[in-house]
Amino acid sequence: MADLTLLVEYKRREFLKVLASGASLAVPVELQGAETRVHVRRAADGRIDAFTGKIDMGQGLRTLLSQCVANELGVPVEEVRLVMGDTDLTPDDGGTWASLTTPETVPAVRKDAAAVRGGPLREPKEWTALGKPQPNLNGRDIVTGAYTYNSDVKVDGMWHGVVLRPAEYRAKLVSADGQGVVREGDFAGVCAPTLAEARALAGKAKAEWAHEPLPALDKMIAAFKAEGKPPVENNQVRYPPLIRRGDAEKALATAAQRKSLTFTLAPIAHAALEPRSAIASFGDDGRLTIRCGKQAPFVVRAEVAKAMGMKESDVRIIVDMPGGGFGCKQRSDVEVEAARLAKASGKAVRVEWSRTEEFVWSYARPAALIETETGVDASGKIASWRQRNYNAGAPGLRPPYDFADHSNEFWATRAPLRQGSYRSLAATGNNFARESTIDEWAAALNRDPLEYRLAHIADPRLKSALEMAAQRFGYKGRKAGVGLACNLEKDGRMALFVECAMEPFRILRMTCVADFGAALNPSNLQNQVQGAIIMGIGGALWERLEFDSTKQLTTRLTNYRVPRFTDVPVMDVHIVDRREITPAGAGEAGITLTAPALAAAIFSLTGKRTMSMPMLA
Amino acid sequence: MAKLTFTVNGTRRTVDAAAGARLIDVLRDGLGLTGTKPGCREGTCGSCTVLVDGRAVRTCITPAAGVAGKRVTTIEGLATGAKLHPLQQAFLDQEAYQCGYCTPGMILGAAGLIARNASPGEQAVRQALDGHLCRCGSQPRIVQAVRAAAEVMRRG
Repeated sequence: MADLTLLVEYKRREFLKVLASGASLAVPVELQGAETRVHVRRAADGRIDAFTGKIDMGQGLRTLLSQCVANELGVPVEEVRLVMGDTDLTPDDGGTWASLTTPETVPAVRKDAAAVRGGPLREPKEWTALGKPQPNLNGRDIVTGAYTYNSDVKVDGMWHGVVLRPAEYRAKLVSADGQGVVREGDFAGVCAPTLAEARALAGKAKAEWAHEPLPALDKMIAAFKAEGKPPVENNQVRYPPLIRRGDAEKALATAAQRKSLTFTLAPIAHAALEPRSAIASFGDDGRLTIRCGKQAPFVVRAEVAKAMGMKESDVRIIVDMPGGGFGCKQRSDVEVEAARLAKASGKAVRVEWSRTEEFVWSYARPAALIETETGVDASGKIASWRQRNYNAGAPGLRPPYDFADHSNEFWATRAPLRQGSYRSLAATGNNFARESTIDEWAAALNRDPLEYRLAHIADPRLKSALEMAAQRFGYKGRKAGVGLACNLEKDGRMALFVECAMEPFRILRMTCVADFGAALNPSNLQNQVQGAIIMGIGGALWERLEFDSTKQLTTRLTNYRVPRFTDVPVMDVHIVDRREITPAGAGEAGITLTAPALAAAIFSLTGKRTMSMPMLA
Repeated sequence: MAKLTFTVNGTRRTVDAAAGARLIDVLRDGLGLTGTKPGCREGTCGSCTVLVDGRAVRTCITPAAGVAGKRVTTIEGLATGAKLHPLQQAFLDQEAYQCGYCTPGMILGAAGLIARNASPGEQAVRQALDGHLCRCGSQPRIVQAVRAAAEVMRRG
């Protein structure tokens, strides 16, 4: 009976999720039919089995969701057997993206666990496993090398596949000939019992491509404005493309002073350390099983099924946890390639992308053009605000500031590059433009940038984060080289202070205070926020994919600079734990602070505002 | 194929190695030691680092033939039975990882440093590990972990 109740609840939740998901409606969310798709159940041996469609790519979800189950059932965290990311076994909890596990999956899992116990959710004061540092359950396997990533998996009788690629970035396959060449649409590849043999076949194969030219990056970004389409207001979607209050145009027209600023962002790569791979095999029953390292197993299943002309129920995706994702491992690619070769050969086939394939054939964080048109009243307060993001997206458009009249807009456009998800999506660019604009006003009006921000913030938790960070940093009597930024992103309140020096440029120290509500696993939360800020250093200062008129030129890690040990400053990242406040997801938001804080520090040192990311390349 | 004999994690092994094979492929495919991680396959990211005669080397650019007769230590060979090496224990204590993919190479890179410098300061750790990428951004914790482990090792 309990199981039936859970099933009904699960179906209801799925239905609501489909209704609420807006843009993600394009992703078919189906009830799986199997009558056991619960998050938690007591197994025959008395232990607790838990199931989630989410995956762990380093953000600590195995540990966090095990804590949730343990907390409601009063069992040790280590005793929870948690199955993650297997489309035959787990519920579809949506992709592991957009910092949604904490706000969506944590309550779902806790509720199902509480139902197994037969009681209400435990109140924060009764928590046993949540709200305290829980060592990562993968830790011992990670430090001993026993942890298995998809690239470590082998299956019996496994062959190896190699995909034929054009030299040019945008190309259609005209013809492909050679021994063992499998062709399907623009796909052509070969497979053989060993990788060396597969490479030899690929080397002998002849593929002809018709390529299209690429515009230069600056022309591409300039074209965004010409091609951009104004947003249509829709507040039912996760990322509304138009967020407004009052009449920004009218308020701008009557402003005492105005500023027009234009910011740009280059496309960048995720450069997750583990290249993607997949092993596909067809069973005697015709079912296709794919082991891969992707963030959204149910999305990959739907896409593979469509590409292969199969029913979703005939495809099983099993995720081996990826060595870094950051948004680049969401959609199917290597899975379909392995499946096509497996189908043609009748073997289990493994395909692994090279680092060059990772750079060129995955998607990039979108390039962006962002304009702010803002005005202050006679007292210097920002009274009118219009922000337009071309191409990058709507996330992070909502200002944390109390502007009387504002309009924050995402103008969709067409880009000739493969672009897609990246940690925090467009929120990084939107906060770069917004915080830099605030900083410009503070400088123009000769106001202290901290005091000027505080004068525009109504949210007491964000104010408190800024004030606490200022104190920890020792901001009072600020000197040259200091910059700051804040944000209220995905319900997290954060402030970052940095100190930099020039000749050569270096970051000396960073202080961050972050308030995501209740800290369910404080140590892991600190690691995630600190890591996001560090990742942001690369996009802020150096990272940019380079192209010529036909090819992507960035193909190797040796010509793509990401943050290294000597780039990372001394850091003080402090988590505010508000036990009574529903926690927000924290995997992404920290990255939005880095670029504007560094831009402010550079401005403080040079008197020049850097308007383009990356700022030093 | 040529026979290649070397000592891996204290055991003498003989494996087949194709002409031009890299050490990483012999370790992972020939010996099943998958703790050695491929990242860039051009010596830039450090994730495939192991110790060869006590020195940290990048196995993706090291010809397998070059380790004939030498002692190779991979992440699988650091612990003594159930007792973790001080570096492994320090990484575990500090949770100096997120996805963990860079961790084996990072630990062995740090072991190579401590073999040369028993008491590395913060800058020495950063300089020594500068060729090791951690895309998750665990660098501050890694620096702490390496220094803590060095201290444990000094105390014996």
